[in-house]
Amino acid sequence: MWRRALSRVRALVGRRRFEDGMSEEMRFHLEAYVNDLVGAGTPPEAAWRRARAEFGSVDNAKDDCREARGLMLFDELARNLRYAVRLLRKTPGFTVTALATLAICIGANLTIFAGVYSILLRPMPFPEADRLVAVFNAYPKAGVPDDGSTLTNYDERRGRIDALAALAVYRDGTAIVGEPGSTERESISRVSPEFFATLGAGPVAGRAFTEAEMTYQTDHVVIITDAYWRQWYDRDRAVLGRRIRVDGVERAIVGVLPPDFSFLSSKARLYFPLSSNAEEREPKRRHWGSSTHMIARLRPGTTLAEAQSQVDAHNAAVEGGGIEAKAMADAGFRSIVEPLHAGHVAAIRPTLLLMQAGALFLLLIGALNLVNLLLIRASQHVRELAVRQAIGAGRRHVVSAVVVETTALTLGGGLLGLVVGAVGIRLLPLLGTDRLPLGTHIALDPRVAVTVLLGALVLGVAIALPIAWYSLRQRVASGMQFESRGSTASRAAQRLRHGFIVAQIGLAFALLSGAGLLGLSLNKVMAVSPGFRPERVLAGQISLPWSSYQRDADRLAFVERLVGDIARTPGVMAAGIVTNVPLSGNSSRSSATVKGRPRRPGESPRAIYSYSVGGDYFSAMGFTLREGRFVVDADSRRAERVCVVDEDFARRYWPTGGAIGQRVFPGSNPAEGREVEGFTIVGVVGAAKQDRLTEDDALGAVYYPFGHRQDNDFFVVTRTSAVAEAFANTLRPIVRAIDPDLPVNDIQTMDARIEDSLVARRSPALLAGVFSGIAMLLTAIGTYGVLSYAVAQRRREIALRMALGAQPAQVRRQFVSLALGLLAAGTALGVIAAWITGQAMQTLLYQVPALHVAVLAGTAVTLGVVSLAACLVPSYRAARVSPMEALADQ
Amino acid sequence: MGKTADLLPGTVDLLILKAVSLKPLHGYGVLLRIRQISGEALEIPQGSLYPALYRLEHQGLIEAEWGESDNGRRAKYYTMTATGRRRLREEAAGWNRLAAAMAAVLNTTPEEV
Repeated sequence: MWRRALSRVRALVGRRRFEDGMSEEMRFHLEAYVNDLVGAGTPPEAAWRRARAEFGSVDNAKDDCREARGLMLFDELARNLRYAVRLLRKTPGFTVTALATLAICIGANLTIFAGVYSILLRPMPFPEADRLVAVFNAYPKAGVPDDGSTLTNYDERRGRIDALAALAVYRDGTAIVGEPGSTERESISRVSPEFFATLGAGPVAGRAFTEAEMTYQTDHVVIITDAYWRQWYDRDRAVLGRRIRVDGVERAIVGVLPPDFSFLSSKARLYFPLSSNAEEREPKRRHWGSSTHMIARLRPGTTLAEAQSQVDAHNAAVEGGGIEAKAMADAGFRSIVEPLHAGHVAAIRPTLLLMQAGALFLLLIGALNLVNLLLIRASQHVRELAVRQAIGAGRRHVVSAVVVETTALTLGGGLLGLVVGAVGIRLLPLLGTDRLPLGTHIALDPRVAVTVLLGALVLGVAIALPIAWYSLRQRVASGMQFESRGSTASRAAQRLRHGFIVAQIGLAFALLSGAGLLGLSLNKVMAVSPGFRPERVLAGQISLPWSSYQRDADRLAFVERLVGDIARTPGVMAAGIVTNVPLSGNSSRSSATVKGRPRRPGESPRAIYSYSVGGDYFSAMGFTLREGRFVVDADSRRAERVCVVDEDFARRYWPTGGAIGQRVFPGSNPAEGREVEGFTIVGVVGAAKQDRLTEDDALGAVYYPFGHRQDNDFFVVTRTSAVAEAFANTLRPIVRAIDPDLPVNDIQTMDARIEDSLVARRSPALLAGVFSGIAMLLTAIGTYGVLSYAVAQRRREIALRMALGAQPAQVRRQFVSLALGLLAAGTALGVIAAWITGQAMQTLLYQVPALHVAVLAGTAVTLGVVSLAACLVPSYRAARVSPMEALADQ
Repeated sequence: MGKTADLLPGTVDLLILKAVSLKPLHGYGVLLRIRQISGEALEIPQGSLYPALYRLEHQGLIEAEWGESDNGRRAKYYTMTATGRRRLREEAAGWNRLAAAMAAVLNTTPEEV
């Protein structure tokens, strides 16, 4: 095989030598034969004649030799390419339009496909990554579809699930790193010893963590990423054993990860042991859902289903039949095993696929446009084609000429599209794609570029098919006539052109109405009230390091001083703290029971949002008080335990009112003998959207005083009288004045947080809007081109009619009604397409039906205006045809 | 010309391979050698000789090299490659089987049936 390729390449490269050698060889043959003939007594003249006659055509023989070397194909290709380039240069307007169309359409597809490839398709950078799974606890009936896994789960499952060759847990977080006075907050991840082994990728220098390092006394070690190594140690080989100060405690570096280590969307730059004590792994904490996540590697030869059933069986064995197990069973508890990568990107998958479908629609519209323009051009070249066929151009020649031209166009457009796509990929973060799962990994992968160029090649061949069909159907005879309008071939071609225009309008209609639905849905989401007043509210995150804030009193003192200092600052209207701000995407849910309201048998415990608040949180965030009073700072120090619930919670238990004075117990089981752990409801506040604006499960929320339920991580929330953003520069020094080691993270206004939470809705709507804008432009170009051609083709007919007394208005009407007919057919097709698209995107829409009358009407009007505008110019030109000129023009 | 037999399709390549296997030859030499060893019974059409040579070279069965002819002119000589030799053996064996079978069939008399 390679030998033939080599021989072909040699012949191509040394083409001159090949041709010369061939000529010389055949000349030698003839001369030698003539010599022999003369030697045998034939006169030279006759010998030459005979030699030539017996050899036959030297040129034919040479052609056959070239064919034997596979050179004919290249010759023909080069000839066709020269012809195509000549043709394209003769019509710069057409060429530029075609190339621009292709560049934009292919570029749009490349941009989206880069996202699809990087997020959905590219395998994780681990060996046999398809065997990696995630295991998480789900309580669907309680409203908690994913609650991570617990250390107890990890402890109980290690080495006991046969289908899982390796099992590990990790917990993402942040840590304050650096010497006092120059600390920085770093993203970190705490991992169990077998974390790296499970992934199949670990430290290139040093070692992974050991089992002995998993306690609070022995966990003073750290594994650093390549990025951290480069930034702080300039890739110094002697980094192992050096110390990093983390949350005020020194940790020794024991390992360095390779440059290509990348675990899902993790931003962690430092890895710590996930230490715990025996108490944290007790069976009673099995369902104390947390931010701990479990990954595992399937044993070779086992399936996901086997792993799932083994995990189910193991769960059943450890759960037993206790009251807790019963409650969990009522909540629909199950530990779900799912593919790691697919599960991680599952939420974004439909949106990405929808965007890719939109881009493909755009490409289809562009391709139809191109086909139509090429068809028109081909019919202008009918005569040339007819002459070529008459002088012996075979079908193959006609087809290959067309294919070479269209593929040259699409490949040229594909190359330009690579440039457009590269720019588009650069612009993607503007749409917020860097916040998608794996979104920071989007790049112009060489494999993506090659795929796109191959696609361009296929597109070129596909576009060539109708053109080639048309060119072949042209009869030599009809082509030779000057007017070929009446021929069946051109009537069929006209039907084809019109069909393509109709398809184009239909597709543009679907795209435009899809964008309309997305926009409408976004509008509806934005109109949803978050349940608090987000304007002029700034929130930033503070994490108190365990090492320096171990006692409850220390934490409470810090919070009280912080809130007091902020409240005294000019321009601050209210300040408070909360363990999690709404819409941050990670509000924690737990369960609570109400005194005197035991669960009915079989009834699922309900998850509720629970928060601890300090200072004047409710005024700062702008909650409405429905009944009673807010929890205030002083409640943290009072012995009486009080709490506030929201109206969703109050309505569920006391639909007719009377929540004030009732008792609430954290946890999912009745509080017999735990009276001291209860909280008395002193107020009811308005319900806020906790997780996202579109949630409608109204789980309810309980707000406890910070002093009675503490946490090391919380948000400080400030309502200002002026611009909230500017307060960030005041907030940091206030915090540093209390504790110089303490940074404030993630400082953002609540308005900005709400904006951010909509990124998965806004970006698709925006992209769809851009796509449909381009689609409309293409449709206008297409309609204009086809109608212009129709007018040009009928110039003589129009001229005749006008000479016989037809009014310009009548002529105009003829073409406008042609355009209207096409528009009507396209719209009818479009409504069906729009309905199908609407169905396909139903899951992405918020309170918008698949078929929305106003959107359809708006789409129809917009497209109608655009395509009629596009047909007006040619129609008016038709009405201005001068009979004398047209008839004289032969 | 009347004494030459018609060539069966596919036999041209086989004949050329055989001729070249005996001794390196230039194109015209191949023609003469086949005429000679077939007792003037087989003659390759001159027009199809060169395409066949180029095809065999392309397939790596023969190799070409410029050299000097008997009368001191530059000429292209074809030699056999190892692949070509193997191919010739296979084709010759196949051809002999076919010829023997054909002969057996054609020589059958009514008595033998």
